Formats: sequence, structure tokens, C-alpha cells
Amino acid sequence: MKTKNCLLIIAIIGAFASNAQTGLTIKSGKVDSIPKKNSKSSIWTKVAPVSVTVLPQNITSPKLQKSTIPSVKVTSINDGITIGFLLEWTDSTKDIFVDADKFCDQVAIQLPMDAAQNPIFMMGNKNGRVHIIHWKSVWQNDIENGFRDVKEAYPNYWTDVYPMAERQGDGSMGKYARDVSVKDYSKGQGKNFIPGFYAGNPMSIFDRKDPSEECIAEGFGTLTTQETQNATAWGTWENNKWSVIITRAINSSDPQDAALPEKTKIAFAVWNGADENVSGRKHYSMWNDLVIEK
Amino acid sequence: MAQVKNWQLNREMQYPYDDNRPKKQIAYIFDTNKCIACQTCTVACKTTWTSGKGQETMFFNNVETKPYGGYPLKWDVNTLKTMGDQPWDKTTKTFKGKTIFEESGGDNVKGWRPEERDYAFPNMGEDECSGIVNKGSFFSGIHDVWMFYLARICNHCSYPACLAACPRKAIYKRQEDGIVLIDESRCRGYRECVKACPYKKTFFNMVTRVSEKCIGCYPLVEQGEQPRCVQTCIGKIRMQGFISKPGEARADNPIDQLVHIKKIALPLYPQHGTEPNVYYVPPIHVPVDFLNQLFGPGVENAIAAYKKVKEDKQALGAFLLFGNSPKTIHSYKVEGDFTVGYNEQGEVLTRVPFTEPVFVRPYSDEKYGTFRHNTP
Repeated sequence: MKTKNCLLIIAIIGAFASNAQTGLTIKSGKVDSIPKKNSKSSIWTKVAPVSVTVLPQNITSPKLQKSTIPSVKVTSINDGITIGFLLEWTDSTKDIFVDADKFCDQVAIQLPMDAAQNPIFMMGNKNGRVHIIHWKSVWQNDIENGFRDVKEAYPNYWTDVYPMAERQGDGSMGKYARDVSVKDYSKGQGKNFIPGFYAGNPMSIFDRKDPSEECIAEGFGTLTTQETQNATAWGTWENNKWSVIITRAINSSDPQDAALPEKTKIAFAVWNGADENVSGRKHYSMWNDLVIEK
Repeated sequence: MAQVKNWQLNREMQYPYDDNRPKKQIAYIFDTNKCIACQTCTVACKTTWTSGKGQETMFFNNVETKPYGGYPLKWDVNTLKTMGDQPWDKTTKTFKGKTIFEESGGDNVKGWRPEERDYAFPNMGEDECSGIVNKGSFFSGIHDVWMFYLARICNHCSYPACLAACPRKAIYKRQEDGIVLIDESRCRGYRECVKACPYKKTFFNMVTRVSEKCIGCYPLVEQGEQPRCVQTCIGKIRMQGFISKPGEARADNPIDQLVHIKKIALPLYPQHGTEPNVYYVPPIHVPVDFLNQLFGPGVENAIAAYKKVKEDKQALGAFLLFGNSPKTIHSYKVEGDFTVGYNEQGEVLTRVPFTEPVFVRPYSDEKYGTFRHNTP
């Protein structure tokens, strides 16, 4: 059954590959320095952007039924040490929160660990590993405005004493019943009552330093956080448009990072939070050529 | 999709994974006729598992009043609406409609995702009955309006929808006891499980940004003890045990006796196809049409058997074990005027008399020279 499914997926992907836009070349132009947070810097205008078509993911479950983002504008520059990608797309809503029914905007780039192996453009395949750098608006908001704790989301909420919260800081029981921040709470025995954090889940980080996450993958459902995080990302939403800069070292010492020879491949994925895009419910691109001017 | 056998539907159905039943399957029986909605189970569960940050509106266990109550809001109505009319063949007790796996619109499971606000009213509809009690009917015996309490936890389904929907395979069903768990280190908070579970018993934690669910108190179960919600039930409406595979029912297993053999306890919304493992004794005073929708076509037989349980020593013997031992009862035996519960090793856990002995103490105690009162 599994083999049959696998063959079917490969056949479908093959069919898509032949129909969708292919063969775009993204040239990473050589510049003196990379503006890691400023998408308006004139340095980004030194290279012509490429408009990459993105399609709703409908090959594996969960699927995206309708497309809300047609394309992503990609600009790449490098200074010989660091490579940067400016990713821009139209989005009329700035979705920066997650909750039971709230989803955030996201974008990711994908690089093959070894372009010669030609991994499947959708998160790679077994022995065809890919390196993914993922930016999420919710993480950006954590850094810009602080972690969105319960009190920030629901200012008038009430709860009884959080177990072990009274032992935190200088709070008396009454005060800390409601006011203990998750950062303080997670430092003591309270961590026993924050299961995701206790388990070391990379989603449950309350003092995030960068709104990016570097991952590796070998196919659907295998996304795994890298042990070393050394990429950066920064996003800005203005005039119904997201502009996100992702950077990483060209010659990385991290063995889990993809090698970046002069010519390799790159793919993109983008999520629209307002349309409940999450996980496989995303817009994806095919592989594009990435040529790095060194 | 694989073809699997769902005994509750009396037919095969489609499921994303092959049939792989665990060595043991945790199961519960809840007697709705005895529940008084004291919420002791809810509080026991909440204080044990979901009293931390981000779990404020999370109830692995809740008790709601039917017909109008429901947590999260309208969980059952919305699932029914999503699926539309789905018929049973009541003669053969075969489900003729589509399950959530068979009419899934391109995804693995057809579901709906509650909104944030739906978690804000855990006691909505509490103690409200189905209609207005007409003037004068207070004095005329049985009312024509009704309500009952439905205690709910994760069903630790044989074909879990949450597990089927998770694209990361972060949800798994334990071979040793059939308990369904979310791997808290693997989940990435996609909320596909929240959308898929027809019972809405997986929850998103807005602080950890991953999902959580009832863990069947597995640390207790591993030690041969019944879960918190069962142990603390003051009405003794609950029993936890292990249900045998279809066709392998043991008459000396109290769960098998009431579910498979006497068919007094029925699954909740079996038509969704997940083969849930919390079995309910349906309330005897509620219109059958409503109960058919909740518990499938076996309701009338179940109620008839329940009403005659006094005459059925085997069934009564199983019922009397409810709430009489903190330990999990694996087998039982009716011995004269007692029903005896045993653990897996065959050791006696509890002996319960069919008739509680009555002791009459004289009003005047000669020995202590005092009088006895019926007050504390």
C-alpha cells in the first residue's frame, strides 16, 4: 500500500512538474553588505527581482483547496560571506497571532543538501534531504512586541492559582494567580504544567531570539528542527505587502546546512494565515535555479 | 485508504492506516442514569492535568447537559451538520451512511475547527431541559420534557480521527493499552487533529503553540489503577477496564459483559466511524430518536436490558463493581450474594454484596449510656 501511494505521489508530482512554471533562474548579485532587516534599502534594488509562481498544495493531505497568493517576488544578494533573500508578496491582512482559530503568515525557502541528487521539490525525499529556513510572523511579533501571553490575548481573564506559581518571584499567591508570565512560570516547577515546553518542543520557546527556524526534511511529515540555528530572518508588513529577508552563511560550518555552490536549486513556500493556511495547506513553488555570483 | 473492520458499524470502512489493534484496548463505561453532573471528575482531571498556562479553557473531561449543552460549543451539532443525514439499517444494525473518513473532501478526515469563543462556555445549557414544563404537570407524574448529563472524555478510539489527520504522525496509539497520545515534542501545532476529532477532545494550547489531549491517566493505568475521573466519581457511574477484540469477548470481563454480550452500554456517535471506546448506558427517559442519533440503533435493546438488570445477575454483578475499587478490574465472578472483582493476576480487588446489609442499632446504647441520633 505504502509503495503504491509513494508511486502515485511521484507520478502526480511528475505531472505537476511538467505543467507548472519551471526553469526560472534567480541570480544572487554580489554587493558590499546585506541589510538584514531593512527591506527598503537601496541595496536590494541592485538586482532585478524574479516573480516566482506559487501553487496551492494539493498533492498530499492536508491540502490547500484555494489559492490566495499567486506569486512571490524574490531578490537575492550576497556579500561573499552571507547570502540574503528578499521575499515579497501581497497580503491584505497582517496575521501575526496563533490561537485555536488564528493562523499566522509564513514563508520558507528550501535548498537541496546536494543539488545533484535532485530531491523532490516538496520537502525532499528519503536520501534526498533538503534544508529549509522558515519565517513566521508570530515569532516576529514575539520579538517585536514580546511573547503573547494569556494576559495579552485576554486582558480581563481570570484563573485560579497556577500550580507552583506562588513559588515564583516575589509574588504572593493572590497576585501571582493571574499575573505570572509564562517566562517566569517556566523557570520553576511550573514547567511541569507546560507540556510542550517541558518536552523541549521548538514551538514552545518563550524568549525567541530570531523569527526564523532552520529545519531539515526528507519528505512529507519529516520536518525536523536543526540542532544549530544560524540563519536570520526579518519581516515587515506595509501597504498590504509582506517583505521578509532571510539570510544565511554561504559557507556554513553546520553540517546540517545545505552547501551553496555557484549553482544550486531553490524553492519557496508561503502561507496566508487569514485563509487558515498551516502545515501542508500552503502555496509552493517548483525548484528554481539559484546562481550565486561570487 | 485501507479497508478496516468497524464492529460498531457492522461493516468495513476506509481508514488511512491498516488495521492494527493494540494488545489491550482501554475502555470505559459511563452510566448516564446515575450521573448528577457534580463535576468532581472535571475538577479532578483539571487539577491533575490542565491547570497550567495556556490550559485555561481546556477540559480533557467535562460533563454537559443534553440536549442543549456542549463543550466546546455545539461540538456535536456541528459535526452532525458537517456530515449531513447518514442512515442506519436498523434491522441489521448496519451503518449505511458515510463516516468522516469516507466523505472527507480530499483530506484524510472531514471535520470542522471550533473558534476561540466556542471554548468560553463550558457550562452552556447546564441543567436546561428540552422544553418548558407545562403548568400543572409538576403534579402529574412523569414530565414530557427531559434532560440528562453526558460526561465526556477522549474516547481513545480504535480508529482515531486525530491520528489519521496528523500530517507529522505526532499522534500515536499505544500497543500496550490502546491509549491515544500526542507526542508533545513532535507536534507543531497545525491543529489538524482539533479539526478532525468529531468529539473535539484535542485542544490547542495558545502558550505552548502545540496541541494536547486526554492521556487516559496512563501513569495510573500502567500501575493497574483506574484514571482520576473514574476513581473520583462520587456517583460511581464509571468503570475503566479493557475491552476485548470483536469476536473475542470474555463473559468474565465486566466491560465485555456489558458492551459485547448484554449490549447495555453503547458507543457515542458510532456513525462517525472512529470506533470510540467510552461506552454509555443510555438514559432511560429520553426520546429514542434522540438517543439513536447519539448512540446508534441499539438504544431500545439497551434500555430494555437495563430495566431488567435486577433479574440478570451477571449484568448486575458487573454494574455493582463500578466505583468499588481504585484498581482496574480485569475479571469478575458472581459468587452467591457477592460479585467479586479481580486484577490481571487473579487477586481479589473487591467483594461487593448484591444487597447491602442493613444494621439496625438500638436508639439507646446501654454500654455507653447514650442515645444515638441520625445526625452527625
